[in-house]
Amino acid sequence: MLIDIRDLYKIYNEGKESEVRALDGVSLQIDQGEFVAIVGQSGSGKSTLMNVLGCLDIPTYGEYYLDGTDVTSLSDKQLAHIRNREIGFIFQGYNLIQELNALENVTLPLIYKGVSVFEREDIAMAALERVGMAERAHHRPSEMSGGQQQRVAIARAIATHPPIIMADEPTGALDSRTGRHVLEILRDLYRSGTTILLITHDDGIAATARREVRLSDGRIISDQVQEVDWE
Amino acid sequence: MNIWQAFKMAFKSISMKKTRSFLTMLGIIIGVASVVIMVSVVQGQNRKTMEFYEKMGDNKITVYAYSYYDTNNETSQKLYDYCLTLSDLVLGITPDVELSSTIMVQYKAKTLAVNDWDNMMGGSYDWASQMHVKLGSDQYGVCNNYTLAAGREMTYLDVENANPVCVLGAGAKEALFGFTDPVGETITLNGDPFLVVGYYEPMDIEYSPEMDNLIVIPYTFNRTMNNNNTIDNYVVKARDAKSTVEAMTRLDAYLKGLFPLNEYGYSDAGSFGVNSNDSSAQAVEQQSMMQSLVLGAIAGISLLVGGIGIMNIMLVTVTERTREIGIRKAIGAERKSIITQFLIEAAVICSIGGIIGIGIGCVGTLIAGKILLGETDMLPSAVITLGAFLFSVVLGVIFGMYPAIKASGLQPVVALRAD
Repeated sequence: MLIDIRDLYKIYNEGKESEVRALDGVSLQIDQGEFVAIVGQSGSGKSTLMNVLGCLDIPTYGEYYLDGTDVTSLSDKQLAHIRNREIGFIFQGYNLIQELNALENVTLPLIYKGVSVFEREDIAMAALERVGMAERAHHRPSEMSGGQQQRVAIARAIATHPPIIMADEPTGALDSRTGRHVLEILRDLYRSGTTILLITHDDGIAATARREVRLSDGRIISDQVQEVDWE
Repeated sequence: MNIWQAFKMAFKSISMKKTRSFLTMLGIIIGVASVVIMVSVVQGQNRKTMEFYEKMGDNKITVYAYSYYDTNNETSQKLYDYCLTLSDLVLGITPDVELSSTIMVQYKAKTLAVNDWDNMMGGSYDWASQMHVKLGSDQYGVCNNYTLAAGREMTYLDVENANPVCVLGAGAKEALFGFTDPVGETITLNGDPFLVVGYYEPMDIEYSPEMDNLIVIPYTFNRTMNNNNTIDNYVVKARDAKSTVEAMTRLDAYLKGLFPLNEYGYSDAGSFGVNSNDSSAQAVEQQSMMQSLVLGAIAGISLLVGGIGIMNIMLVTVTERTREIGIRKAIGAERKSIITQFLIEAAVICSIGGIIGIGIGCVGTLIAGKILLGETDMLPSAVITLGAFLFSVVLGVIFGMYPAIKASGLQPVVALRAD
């Protein structure tokens, strides 16, 4: 089991009148190599779930085992290690560093990983090629369209070859054509064995995933494996 | 991530945001430069003043003693004899009287008119080249801190016998003899021949050329060349600073005995005063210390204001970069790496600013030294420069670090949410 969460809670302002249960006892198991869509209305807790799964946030209660390791007991340094090598993130707002060009943005996680200066540029270029952005390697994010920026963000996420890719509304800011392109890249990654977690509010996109987990008010209300036409 | 990588990242970030980096530097540049210039100018001025007193000589006591009833300078003899009894405190005593009558000084074809009052009027008085003929004893050089360049001082017998000899100051030597050796030559004062027995090294005190434009003859010529006026001015040289205080007390007491006060609080016999250069030098030193403190405080305030500027811009820039810190954390940056990056960024910006500030400070000090003090090569002291530099760098680094430490401690998702 790659991801194994049990009875996970994320509660803001606990015990106060304004208490919000973003995650209200979620249990979920994901195997290596799955393509899972986590779908729900805005405010259903799906982004919170991804943040916790991606070690960007810590749960209030509950257990989280990543590849058998109890993540909730790890130090800040160990969490950084996991974010760097185990998980690649794709955000709705791309979250590229504006001052750096595409290549430098993609190189960044490799620097933190400690890849030598001789290798990392080649690795980053390969990642950019994989998303079809090699020819724009020396452009800054401000000189690119949203779809191009998202592809650079994907290149950054896959640069360290993490076994898991987590994408939070990756097509949310894109038009449908570039959105389809981005999804195609994700499917391509899935085919090469990467575990994909796709978070979306769009049922149409959720329908294209192999497994669909539906969230509402911080709880899982359905979890089903479905047939897809693209496989 | 290694240190080299952190340096590259910091430089990248600095060069990418030039305006922000420049504004941050500006505070430091102004702070460092103003402190360096201000303190240097004050120090330069103080050094100049103290140099004057040093050249004039330490442990020098000026005695003024004027007797209403002397007919043949009895007081002078008494003072001389009294100083002999103080030989454990006092190195020498000399009258120090300048002749005020007109004297024509001549050597071969060269003539110097001294105190030529009739021809001096109408603006032709040149204080820088004016000569001064002084009455002194064999101890004139010792008492007034002159060093012989060649020849000898007058002897006791020269003085006793009123031998026509003289010692020249460096200015007088140059005016009369140029670069030739004056020792053994004879000059005339109003036609009377005087043998030059020695001359002094130059004092070179700025604005005090009279220290070098000097001809000293035995004070026994007071009778023939000074209308036998009463000698009232003396210079006593004490052995050291402690002896100076002691000798001053003794001389004061002795003169009080010579000129006793009457019931109204003043003396019927004469007037006197005992002063030392040490005490005036001390007063000046204290005064310049005050000056240093005041200007140092002003400079410190400007540094503080500069520091607050640094603090503000650092706080703002790092706060606005919280999101960037979030991104870096999300892709696997350890807290340590982020703090290191911001530390180096702040240190590099502040150091560059500090170095530019030192450069401007040095140039400013040179200019200020030239304009205000007439010095051609005044440079700031290393201690002040280094102090101002370290202060601003430390300040910049602390305030550059603090928000970075705070932001890097956030959960990545919180930092990412920041805008």
